[in-house]
Amino acid sequence: MAQTSLPLPNAKEPSNLKNWLGVSPFFLFAILFILFPSLYLVEGSFINQEGQFTLQNYADLLRSPAIVNAYKLSIQISAATAIGGGIFGFLLAYSITVGGLPRQLRSALITFSGVASNFAGVPLAFAFIATLGRRGFVTLLLKDNLNIDLYQAGFDLYTFWGLTAIYMFFQFPLMVLVMVPALDGLKREWREAAENLGASYFQYWTRVAMPILLPSILGSMILLFGNAFGAYATAYALTGGRLGIITIQIGAQIRGDVLHNPGLGYAMAMGMVIIMAVSLIGYSWLQKVSERWLR
Amino acid sequence: MKTRKSLFTLFSLLLLASLALAACGPAATEAPPAATEPPAATEAPATAAPATEAPAADPMADLIAAAQAEGMLTTIALPHDWCNYGEAIETFKTKYGLEVNELNPDAGSGDEIEAIKANKDNPGPQAPDVIDVGFAFGPSSKAEGLIQPYKVSTWDSIPADAKDAEGYWYGDYYGVLSFLVNTDVQPEVPQDWADLLDPKYNGQVALSGDPRASNQAIQSVFAASLANGGSLDDAQPGLDYFAQLNSAGNLVPLIANNGLVATGETAVRITWDYNALAAIDSFEGNPAAQVVIPASGRFAGVYVQAISAYAPHPNAAKLWMEFLYSDEGQTIWMKGYCHPIREQDMRDRGVIPADLLAKLPDVTGAVFPTVAQLDAAKALITANWDAAVGANIQAAP
Amino acid sequence: MASKGLRKVVAMSDTPFDVSAGQGGPGKKRWSLLRIGGRFWSWVWFILGAVYFLVPLFATLRHSLRMERDVIGFKAYERAFEDPSFLETFLLSNALAVATIVCSALLIVPTAYWIRLRLPQARRIAEFITLLPFVIPAIILVFGLIRTYSTHFTIPFTDIELFQPLTTTKFGTYALITAGYMVLAMPYMYRSVDTGMRVVDIRTLTEAAQSLGAGWFTIITQVILPNVRSALLSGALLTFAIVVGEVTLASFLGVDAFGPYLFLIGQHKAYEPAALSFVTFLMTWFAMGMIQFVTGGQGQATGAH
Repeated sequence: MAQTSLPLPNAKEPSNLKNWLGVSPFFLFAILFILFPSLYLVEGSFINQEGQFTLQNYADLLRSPAIVNAYKLSIQISAATAIGGGIFGFLLAYSITVGGLPRQLRSALITFSGVASNFAGVPLAFAFIATLGRRGFVTLLLKDNLNIDLYQAGFDLYTFWGLTAIYMFFQFPLMVLVMVPALDGLKREWREAAENLGASYFQYWTRVAMPILLPSILGSMILLFGNAFGAYATAYALTGGRLGIITIQIGAQIRGDVLHNPGLGYAMAMGMVIIMAVSLIGYSWLQKVSERWLR
Repeated sequence: MKTRKSLFTLFSLLLLASLALAACGPAATEAPPAATEPPAATEAPATAAPATEAPAADPMADLIAAAQAEGMLTTIALPHDWCNYGEAIETFKTKYGLEVNELNPDAGSGDEIEAIKANKDNPGPQAPDVIDVGFAFGPSSKAEGLIQPYKVSTWDSIPADAKDAEGYWYGDYYGVLSFLVNTDVQPEVPQDWADLLDPKYNGQVALSGDPRASNQAIQSVFAASLANGGSLDDAQPGLDYFAQLNSAGNLVPLIANNGLVATGETAVRITWDYNALAAIDSFEGNPAAQVVIPASGRFAGVYVQAISAYAPHPNAAKLWMEFLYSDEGQTIWMKGYCHPIREQDMRDRGVIPADLLAKLPDVTGAVFPTVAQLDAAKALITANWDAAVGANIQAAP
Repeated sequence: MASKGLRKVVAMSDTPFDVSAGQGGPGKKRWSLLRIGGRFWSWVWFILGAVYFLVPLFATLRHSLRMERDVIGFKAYERAFEDPSFLETFLLSNALAVATIVCSALLIVPTAYWIRLRLPQARRIAEFITLLPFVIPAIILVFGLIRTYSTHFTIPFTDIELFQPLTTTKFGTYALITAGYMVLAMPYMYRSVDTGMRVVDIRTLTEAAQSLGAGWFTIITQVILPNVRSALLSGALLTFAIVVGEVTLASFLGVDAFGPYLFLIGQHKAYEPAALSFVTFLMTWFAMGMIQFVTGGQGQATGAH
């Protein structure tokens, strides 16, 4: 029988043309449908309101305190929801896989997560406002029945942390959906082997399971980060007039009802691309570190 | 495995079926234009009958025929319950037998301009033929060469300060900023801007957009400034007013919509009077609500129509304009509580039905800013809004 | 003969070694107790999650039932569903979603596989590309697509036009919007599939399959694909939700999809949007269930417990 020779896993693979050919459809797709349409974005970021070439837009990025603050705010929200969403999403995924809940609940949570992962924007904001807003039914329930006035006590849904809590509605499901296959991949024989070597449950998790899962967890978190970073509609609906995250600022420049500076908007979007690239580098480094022991 | 495979086949067949349905759908709706052409042909002689209209009938008949040859009109940013556009579009469709392709009803003026620019070379149905944009966008899109001139037959009855002399853009309707109040939640209805500062409106007042981006919101701030000692040349008092409203805790940072008014979350919504009145109609008494045109600070916002310079269906576009600026079209807008731009002319000729006249809100004393004043106010408000309402909030320290 | 051998290889990676036979240690009892304790915490997380998700949805439902004054009724639903376009646009969006899922899977599964197996140098750049859709606003994407694909494609230096611009034909527009949706769904699809592949030892599987004489196509379709089924399902569900709820691309490309329809109906109304969003949630959940069912469940948890 013909034996196709596969190179040894750790041998230095000459990156010959044939290998790159294998990924060429993907890169072709990316060029055709991501790069070409975005060229206008890059081009436009160098053009000022009179239509001439300028570097002023990029200069404004760094000099305008409103824009710098907007980036900071966006990064903060994205990091907060990536971490918070990552942790609780992982716990949820754990509960229906390794955690041993009944099969139907697993099915229900996975399909629910599919829907909830994209439930955002005005409907999501409305759902939470109708729950915990000043006239939300939970707020009123507490006020009328238990005499607890949330807003008197200082609670306010329309803040950074309120927005973070709402973002979780699509961050948790995203984490669940990506982590369930990874948790499924924890082989039983690893647990049994650890058990037989005398490891406690805690040791199994910290020494065996978590290190195996860490690359997947990091990968999911960067996804959650990107997901929150690019989100716009929910923040606009809830705190549009108060929290100026960068996507809202970009929207104001590019799509606003009032004449603005689209070039600046494009430059801000390019800024987001750069931040994403930097985050990716950080994440890749973490990945490499976490995967080291797997070799 | 076998059942799964057959299920998969079934699913794929369903998918193909729905695609086929979808592809056939538009073909089905294209039949009507052919069917209704005979009535259109008989319309020409009908309009030619009155002797005084005979000279106008011929170019109209030509225009109608040319538009029908194009078969389609592409509009953008026309929500159905904004100034009763829903009825306008339906009437236009049945009257002339044209298909109307409606792009993004939620688009802002900036989106409409972007859409024209992006579709410069596109003869397809993604290119908007006509746009309805904020006042300041008229001159700017003319300067960018994005629109083409056309003077409707009723051109002369449009007020001179609401149109471009060369016919590139022309005002279509206006409204005044008002308060929509949910009286179930807040029975004490404010009568003026100053009333909103009262502690009883704590956590109840909201704008209908983000002043950094939304025309309606920016002009709300501008309107507040008129009531607060400012003028059409000075919008700073408006910013001060909202800063005060915000620090008093009366201003909620939500973008108000009718659902939120109904739940009572934004019991007082600052919006155009026509939107507020249409909202009350749609509430049907639940919740009970009122519209108040503030006693001072009556600020009129004008929107303008224009035809895209790259319109794939220029004749349909012109026919649409003729329709909108005819008495019929202007009356449809009036049914949506908007003040059509030819209102004065129509009042003088007495062609407005009395019941409609009664329903139109009383806006005496409303002031109309010029483009220069709008631009100056916009620049001021967008630059300083963040600082005024403390929008530079960081996360928890 | 080759396929029987392949199935054995796949099965081999599923069967756990039975290590526990006859070697219970002193820790075993503690493990069982902790396992029971572990299940308690699973319930805790699940119930907390359920409360967090279901209460706001209940609030939406509650609001939608209150259209008539002091009456709990379905008036908002009647109003919202008077228009037959609801079902038409929903089906169209479903069809586009399935097309997007299929094309995305065809594009991304072999790519992720190839990168893991042969081209680790490309991983970083591929991941960067798959994260780009997050930072390119949808509105820029749609206008970019229109700009690029609304003109005739001419061979450089000649006047020969090769293709009709995509935007002028119905089918072309559908193709264009599917490509747009693939771009929007790419981060999720890629991350799901990549996670799924990380978990499976594709190197061993590939070697074993090749040693049995399988070609690349057979390897990908009969060995790799079944093993990443669970991950692919996750990606498919995420893509489905994105496409059905998408508004920007559809509304500017002039496609009569579900998102723009919902917008048109409910924009300025008070109760109908809540009714629509609640029903849409349920219908999409049902469609997700169908997808899960048709693709054969979530794949067998290989040895998970």
